[in-house]
Amino acid sequence: MNVDARWSIRTRLTAWYVSVLAVLLLVFAVIVFVFQYVTLTRQIVHDEMQDAVTVEGLLYFDGHGQLQLRQDYYSRPQSHLLVDRLMEVLDLNGAVLYRSNALEEQTLGGPLVPGEGDGSSNERIVRLRDGSRVLTISHIHGMNGRDLVIRVGYSLRPLRDRLWQFVWLLGIALLVTILLATFTGQWIASKAMSPIGLMADRAEGITANNLHDRLVVANPRDELGALAAVFNHLLERLEQSFQQLQRFTADAAHELRTPLASLRTVGEVALSEPRSAEQYRDAISSILEETQRLNHTVDSLLLLARAEAGNTSATSEDIALAPLTMEVMNMLSVLAEEKEIQLLVQEEAHGLAVYGDRNLLRVAIINVLHNAIKFSPQKGMVRITLASDGAAATVTVVDQGQGLREDEFDSVFERFYKGRGESRNQGNGLGLSIVKLIVERIGGSVRFDRAVETGASVVIRLPIAAGAI
Amino acid sequence: MDEQARIVIIEDDRKLSAALVSGLEGAGYKVKAASSAEEGFFLVHQLQPDLILLDLTLPQRNGLDILQQLREEGVDVRVLILTSHNTIEDRVAGLKTGADDYMGKPFSFPELIARIEALLRRVLPSSPRRLTIGDLELDSSARSAWRDGQKLDLTAREFDLLLYLSKNKGRTVSREMLAKDVWQETSRYTPIDNVIDVQMARLRKKVDDPFRVKLLQTIRGIGFCLQEP
Repeated sequence: MNVDARWSIRTRLTAWYVSVLAVLLLVFAVIVFVFQYVTLTRQIVHDEMQDAVTVEGLLYFDGHGQLQLRQDYYSRPQSHLLVDRLMEVLDLNGAVLYRSNALEEQTLGGPLVPGEGDGSSNERIVRLRDGSRVLTISHIHGMNGRDLVIRVGYSLRPLRDRLWQFVWLLGIALLVTILLATFTGQWIASKAMSPIGLMADRAEGITANNLHDRLVVANPRDELGALAAVFNHLLERLEQSFQQLQRFTADAAHELRTPLASLRTVGEVALSEPRSAEQYRDAISSILEETQRLNHTVDSLLLLARAEAGNTSATSEDIALAPLTMEVMNMLSVLAEEKEIQLLVQEEAHGLAVYGDRNLLRVAIINVLHNAIKFSPQKGMVRITLASDGAAATVTVVDQGQGLREDEFDSVFERFYKGRGESRNQGNGLGLSIVKLIVERIGGSVRFDRAVETGASVVIRLPIAAGAI
Repeated sequence: MDEQARIVIIEDDRKLSAALVSGLEGAGYKVKAASSAEEGFFLVHQLQPDLILLDLTLPQRNGLDILQQLREEGVDVRVLILTSHNTIEDRVAGLKTGADDYMGKPFSFPELIARIEALLRRVLPSSPRRLTIGDLELDSSARSAWRDGQKLDLTAREFDLLLYLSKNKGRTVSREMLAKDVWQETSRYTPIDNVIDVQMARLRKKVDDPFRVKLLQTIRGIGFCLQEP
């Protein structure tokens, strides 16, 4: 496989295809060859048997007791082929009684084999003294009270020549076929692979500047079409997040511009004419306050970036929800007391724990609870419920404020969304988007419950830690 | 401090550098500023300062390199890093290289002064059990406070806040300092400022409102200060 890795897929496909084809063809050729060989050999044996029978009728003892082959044997039209036959007749003692001229005094198979020609035709291949191979059969024939063994043999040379011819033919055909297959295979593979090259060229040209470009889907139903579709889907998501990032950068710049404008104006106005020390002090204080606002926005942006970078396992741990909630409540309780708001905690499920960055989750819960206190009326009540529905822990924070308008349920989580009315000037509009990002990084979700009629109800769902405390 | 402590600032932003020089001179230090690493080295070797304020992002050379070289040369000097890279990892890297303290930009000037003082005090002052500011008295071990002989009814948080302000008597403390030292908050985000402001208002109600002389002052845009007017 290491060797293969250096080759292109096209070449590899062709190589595989051609080798499989070659093996199949070879197997086919061997089968045909064997079949041919067996058929031809059997044909020879069959012919020899017939010759033996013919010869039986032509043999006679002459006056000297010598075995002879009748002369008219040669005049028989169907027997002329027998002239070239190799033939030997022996008696049961092994004495040679007759030998055809074609044998030129060589023996056809040597001494008698026990039981030769008795019942079976005993076909075998014998080698003559001159080295040629002969397929012989033996046959016992009774004549004048004597049993004679007739051996008839055909030289295998014509068979061998024919088979060689056949092998050559097969070989050439095989070679031509494989060559043809290689070229067509290469061509077909190239054709099949060509969309990949097109896709690669196209993908090469796609950069951040033209993320809207897509790969061409030639046939959406085939594999390459599916691949292109997957790529296009990926590009779409990339484009979306890229646009989101651009929008965010623009929004952030805009958000920073507003406090910068007020800084500049305060400074310019202060210096536009001579003023009292008190007035200068006032201007500088105002500038410092504004820088603090700017600072908070930048800190929030960095927090978002940190949460965005992910929930690295290095900072993740099991977090017990109840103590964390209590800690946050404790910290913000002074804000609630100031507005005489009652903070209530209901722990419907005990010992809930989630896995994540504790500092980040703490920020999320602070933001949600801080919002609830901020939007609650004087002497209102904020209820925090810790519950579990099996797989997830839920933290629900319900306040008695004005709640959300129908069109705010989604936009409230957008970055720099600041709501309406007097809350517009408080905060930087990043609080809830930070909550959303943090909660989603931990694997949970956050939403406002649409079912409540008064106030707002934030529901944070968090997956329960695997090794819950 | 008998003699003026010497401080070298290595910071390439001239505006910030100039502001620091004037602020620190105002606080009674002898200050010299360098805008590059080379100049910084020269000043450090020439002046033998007690403390260096070191910016990490300098042209040509990283502040951490300078710190490392100084530590390798065995220069005995306190180093306070000022940087805009303010993550925990950066902090750890800075402290590991041999910095004594670390402040993220933008920092509050009162906090910088407080940190510098803490670094220059070689031995920690034993904070006295009893503190007095005018007619305000605090007992840090009994955790009680009196004003004009009257015991003040303070919550634990309010007492901590008052104690911190008393220890920094006459000095402005910023919200960042309070968040870090009184609330022990490590990260900075909006709600804590709200909490501090509300807590301070409540403290003021108990400490100042019933009395004619107001001790707790808000320095707009900077923070708070506890002092006799």
